[in-house]
Amino acid sequence: MPNYNGPWNPGMSRRELLARSGTGLGMLALSNLLREEGQLGAAESGAGPLGPLSPKQPHFAPRAKQVVHLFMNGGPSHIDTFDPKPELKRLHGQPLPMGNLRTERKTGALMGSPFQFQKYGESGIEVSELFSQTAQCIDDIAVIRSMHADVPNHEPSLMLMNCGEGRLPRPSMGAWVTYGLGSENQNLPGFVVMCPGGYPIVATRNWRSAFLPGAFQGTYINSQQKQVDKLIANIKNEDLTLDVQRRQLDLVRRLNEKHADDRERDAQLETRIQSFELAYRMQSEATDAFDISQETKEMQERYGTGDVARQLLITRRLLERGVRFVQLWSGAGQPWDNHSDLEKQHRKLSGDWDRPIAAFLTDLKQRGLLDSTLVLWGGEFGRTPVAELPQLNGRDHNHYGFTCWLAGGGIRGGYVHGATDEFGFAAAEKPVHVHDLHATMLHLLGFDHEQLTYRYAGRDFRLTDVHGHVIPELIA
Amino acid sequence: MPALRAVIFGFFACLSAISVTYGDEKVSPADAEFFEKRVRPVLAEKCYSCHGAEKQELGIRLDSRDAVITGGDAGPIVDSEAPSESPLLAAIGYAGDVQMPPDGQLSADEIAALTRWVKIGMPWPGSSTPSVEKNHDAYKQHWAFQPITDPPLPEVQDAEWSRTSIDRFILARLEQAGLTPAPEADRKTLIRRATFDLIGLPPTPAEVTAFENDPSPDAYEKLIDRLLASPRYGERWARHWLDVARYADNKGYIFFGDKKYHWAYTYRDYVIRALNDDLPYDRFVVEQLAADQLDLGEDKRPLTAMGYLTLGAQFSGNIHDIIDDRIDVVTRGLMGLTVSCARCHNHKFDPISAADYYGLYGVFRSSTEPTIPPMFEAPPDTEEHRKFAAELAVKQQKLDAFVTEKHTALVTSARKRAAEYLMAAHAKRNQPPTEDFMLLVEEGDLNPTMIQRWQSYLMRARKSHDPIWSIWHACAEIPADEFAATAAAIVEQHATDPAQAHPAVLEALRAAPPTSMSELAERYSNVLNQVDDKWTALLQQATEAKQPPPTELPDESDEVLRLVFYGSQAPPDVPVRTGWGFLTLLPDRPAQAKYKKLLGEVEKHIAETAGAPPRAMVLLDAEEMYAPKVFLRGNPNRPGNGVPRHFPEFLTHEDDQVFQSGSGRLELAQAIVDPANPLTARVLVNRVWLNHFGSALVATPSDFGLRSELPTHPALLDHLASEFMRDGWSLKRLHRRIMLSAVYRQQSHARDDGVAVDPRNRLLWRMNRRRLDFESMRDSLLAVTGELEQTLGGPAVDIEKTPFTPRRTIYAFVDRMDLPELFRAFDFPDPAATSPQRDATTIAPQALYLMNHKFVDEVVLRIAARPDVADVADASLRIDRLHKILFSRAPTELELELAGAFLGAEPSQQQWQEYIQALLMTNEFLFVD
Repeated sequence: MPNYNGPWNPGMSRRELLARSGTGLGMLALSNLLREEGQLGAAESGAGPLGPLSPKQPHFAPRAKQVVHLFMNGGPSHIDTFDPKPELKRLHGQPLPMGNLRTERKTGALMGSPFQFQKYGESGIEVSELFSQTAQCIDDIAVIRSMHADVPNHEPSLMLMNCGEGRLPRPSMGAWVTYGLGSENQNLPGFVVMCPGGYPIVATRNWRSAFLPGAFQGTYINSQQKQVDKLIANIKNEDLTLDVQRRQLDLVRRLNEKHADDRERDAQLETRIQSFELAYRMQSEATDAFDISQETKEMQERYGTGDVARQLLITRRLLERGVRFVQLWSGAGQPWDNHSDLEKQHRKLSGDWDRPIAAFLTDLKQRGLLDSTLVLWGGEFGRTPVAELPQLNGRDHNHYGFTCWLAGGGIRGGYVHGATDEFGFAAAEKPVHVHDLHATMLHLLGFDHEQLTYRYAGRDFRLTDVHGHVIPELIA
Repeated sequence: MPALRAVIFGFFACLSAISVTYGDEKVSPADAEFFEKRVRPVLAEKCYSCHGAEKQELGIRLDSRDAVITGGDAGPIVDSEAPSESPLLAAIGYAGDVQMPPDGQLSADEIAALTRWVKIGMPWPGSSTPSVEKNHDAYKQHWAFQPITDPPLPEVQDAEWSRTSIDRFILARLEQAGLTPAPEADRKTLIRRATFDLIGLPPTPAEVTAFENDPSPDAYEKLIDRLLASPRYGERWARHWLDVARYADNKGYIFFGDKKYHWAYTYRDYVIRALNDDLPYDRFVVEQLAADQLDLGEDKRPLTAMGYLTLGAQFSGNIHDIIDDRIDVVTRGLMGLTVSCARCHNHKFDPISAADYYGLYGVFRSSTEPTIPPMFEAPPDTEEHRKFAAELAVKQQKLDAFVTEKHTALVTSARKRAAEYLMAAHAKRNQPPTEDFMLLVEEGDLNPTMIQRWQSYLMRARKSHDPIWSIWHACAEIPADEFAATAAAIVEQHATDPAQAHPAVLEALRAAPPTSMSELAERYSNVLNQVDDKWTALLQQATEAKQPPPTELPDESDEVLRLVFYGSQAPPDVPVRTGWGFLTLLPDRPAQAKYKKLLGEVEKHIAETAGAPPRAMVLLDAEEMYAPKVFLRGNPNRPGNGVPRHFPEFLTHEDDQVFQSGSGRLELAQAIVDPANPLTARVLVNRVWLNHFGSALVATPSDFGLRSELPTHPALLDHLASEFMRDGWSLKRLHRRIMLSAVYRQQSHARDDGVAVDPRNRLLWRMNRRRLDFESMRDSLLAVTGELEQTLGGPAVDIEKTPFTPRRTIYAFVDRMDLPELFRAFDFPDPAATSPQRDATTIAPQALYLMNHKFVDEVVLRIAARPDVADVADASLRIDRLHKILFSRAPTELELELAGAFLGAEPSQQQWQEYIQALLMTNEFLFVD
């Protein structure tokens, strides 16, 4: 097992550190160090002088450097959003000719989409009215209409989408990515998870680090909280001013320097000295990153109002600051799980997301960030083309076929990959399993998904377990 | 033993018969050409990637004739008697549940070629054995599987330095590398090191002074003995063990039921007590695995030891994953063996077969957790307790009655509705059964678990050519529009040979052959239910005549039909599952709701009633033992060969690996602590060494398999292991042995010569400098306030709640579901699974904690308020006092100067607090030299 930060192994002596940085350990020296460490790669220990989140180089030149996962938890209906099925409308109310596939609950007759679809962009991809603003960016988006997963239950499907395994404790995709790449900004967590109002189903298991070191676990932020300094644990001292803390840290540094001098300058002592300097800066930088009041009024209006809009605006600020992986959830529990009253509920939920997503993608593009940021949209599965009994106004879970889309970060825009059958029940053409999605995402980040491994309990584990194929058509 | 070996011998005997039949004749040129042109390219392109030299999915490889004949985990893949019936051909024909290749069927040409090849006896020119033979015997040379030796002490040049035998082994390696050990550390350093190491707390200033001033030659030995005798020792070292035991106070994510383990703490307290009492480690292991099987006498507290098995995650109630977790914590935790790797296939590197895995699976599947765990201390004889017990009995009775009612209804309806279940199973005929669905159904619907049971049953009957079901399976393949005609022909065809079909089935079909599958299902159901009626009548007679109940029907032909409903693994005879597992038998919502309510009431009552006694999280042997079968690819719906409950075969040299008694848990425990077991003692001494030095002799403490790193000092590891066993598996003697060594007493300063040769200090040319882990850090913060609570044991506490608890961190509630950020930030291991060793990261959130957390404020206030601080008026003396409390030493000139500059001429209370907090943030507070 890699020994993070090699606590018992000096690895780099104080002398080496000094030789590289000239005198003392200023920020300049530190960033030099980071670069050098980055070139050394993740192979040896996974840890650099700043600990496990030091930036690292992937296996080959990446197309994307950062990831944003927009998680429509509960399972959005693909046939009401990105996968038009006119047959459904035509046969509305009739039984499915070949019989219903078994899903979690009892289902009945076909249910046409209550939403209008329309072609968008040069690519002419059809999108429903629920995402009419997002659809303005469709030429930057690759829609995968042939996703499939393993079972029609939330818990295992969430685990599969997030961790590549339905039941057993495995690290999340964000944890794997930060393990592989570190983070560009040591003053912020490398993997940030925002969900307004509490946890989704299965809670922190969705962003766990499992057997990877705890530093790679997602940092959960309740984005309903509007007070910036309550968002991150211990980010602010309620009694001491920054000036007093600066004096304290200056004293600590003097005492530590003396202590280290007596001890042949041990690298682990240096690392900890630095961690206090980082923490001090983090106090202002983290609060800064989450403070959207610093955005212009015009920008805030572009994103719109509400928790989701705020999440996306914060996300852009985090991306600018080098955070590696951001995952955004729709809300606590499973908001998109519309077994009944789907029309009204989906309208409300897409209303939360549509405008902010469009503003976010456009904003990233204008700032030149979209090229290096991989955006993933989707749920843990889709929904059935048949209505759920007994209400007949909602849809059951459907893991046989559903839609995810990707944008930015080396993705071929304006492209539709694969298809479901004529009713949208099961993936029919070019099926893409969740493992394939993971393999492709890792590929865009510069990893051979079979080589990004971690030795644990006698095995080299990876996000894609023993599965997964990169899908070249998705790549620009 | 014999059962296991019999199975294996039987297996091979069967194979050799097949290969003899095929013979080993020469391949004709025409056949050779056919093979090279039409067969080998298909095998190479379409099959080898999963069934070749690199990978052998399901144990099958197709790159040599012998390998094809040998078959895979599930048995032969070619049938010598009837080549066209070969499973290999069924798989490529996409005819059954196995469809190969999985990503697309072969072309008709390719299928035809392979079919012909099998039919003509699989000619294979050239060598018939695989080109690259897997080295199955590599493990026999693997160091960790060799018997533990008692190596002689190595010769060393510097005879003076060594204090103990350990030192000879270390020094010999250092001398080989051209290194010298470091000088002995001073007494201040030694007492700090030993105190943190053994009790996880800093020494008090008085203890430091006493040790420094102790003139006796054995002052250091006395120090170690004093620390080992401290109850704080158990609290410290129990935490190391709890990492291995993946200790947590709740179940992790589960959908239903109480998420808390109310009595997990009784296990934690057991570990603390066992360590403080120096319970021999072999006994410690046996109690944790099988205390229920021991004659405990009066003191039943060891029952709580079984939390080691039971307090893992609950995996939403999935029994297979729960058992996997138990196998993992036992094998990896106690023996450094990654047995869980063999859940889906034989271990890729270590000599652990899927049969070994399921041998252990059977042990844990034959063990259950009682819904109401036993008490381990006599309950108080009070009115309150009598009332509690009476109410419990009522609630329990309600629950039992409901379970019996629902289970009986399910089993009865599964028999009465056999026709419907047959049709439901038929609808899924060519799909592999899967157990992972959590389906909801309406009241009165068929039960999905039962459908799976019928499906699996029919699949087995199909494979075994069961004459009862021969017609069923023949008819199942008929297209609907040809059914009537073809079915009649099939029935007649079966009628010609009585061995091929059951007479009662024939009789029910011949007169008027069925015209559809559902009609066929009805007929089968009638036949079965008629026999069931006979059976019920016979039972009734026996009851009325007050005779013992019959065990079988007198008519042999009836009896085989009765077994469809009542035999081993008969589909309707689903076992009662206890606890939340019962929900899978109750997929309709009203029944689930009622069950949840009744079970919840019992659980709440025993856990939360005031004065309810604590209980031990035991496992008990089940009423009926479970006979394990290998689950192919780990899929419980695809049982393969039966295996006995047994200890992994490669670890047994005698014929005693098959467990004879009950579940076999006690025998498992005894086999683990058998002195001849090469792993247990080695793994344990390595763990202890790791925690004394911060680096282990074997760098992968929970994996001693073929891919583990070699020990840095193999002879020392064996020496420690044999001495440990000679000492009666005494942990305290092991600590003492290690800590009295000269190597442990070295200074921790790095030196150029050492860094140049061995930068990671694997050879121990100095002591490692170590950072306090989370528990030691928080405990030290409490200790220096002088207010650390000394009470041993008790229920878990929330350490983040204000007012802050002065309890040691080992008593903190460990939330498996949502491990608090505080724990994670300081490298507390994820209790999802056993932890081999802790990471030691240094990240900014750790610094933020010391800078900003309210708990640290509180600590600072209390240090400032200590009488021996607050009452010292003179600033320099107060600084001196603080240094002694925090660092066990007086301040230097420079430190006094810096403190003076920080505090100013007349420091306020606030400034003192700021100063104290700064001292707590220093490296010296957190690092041990």
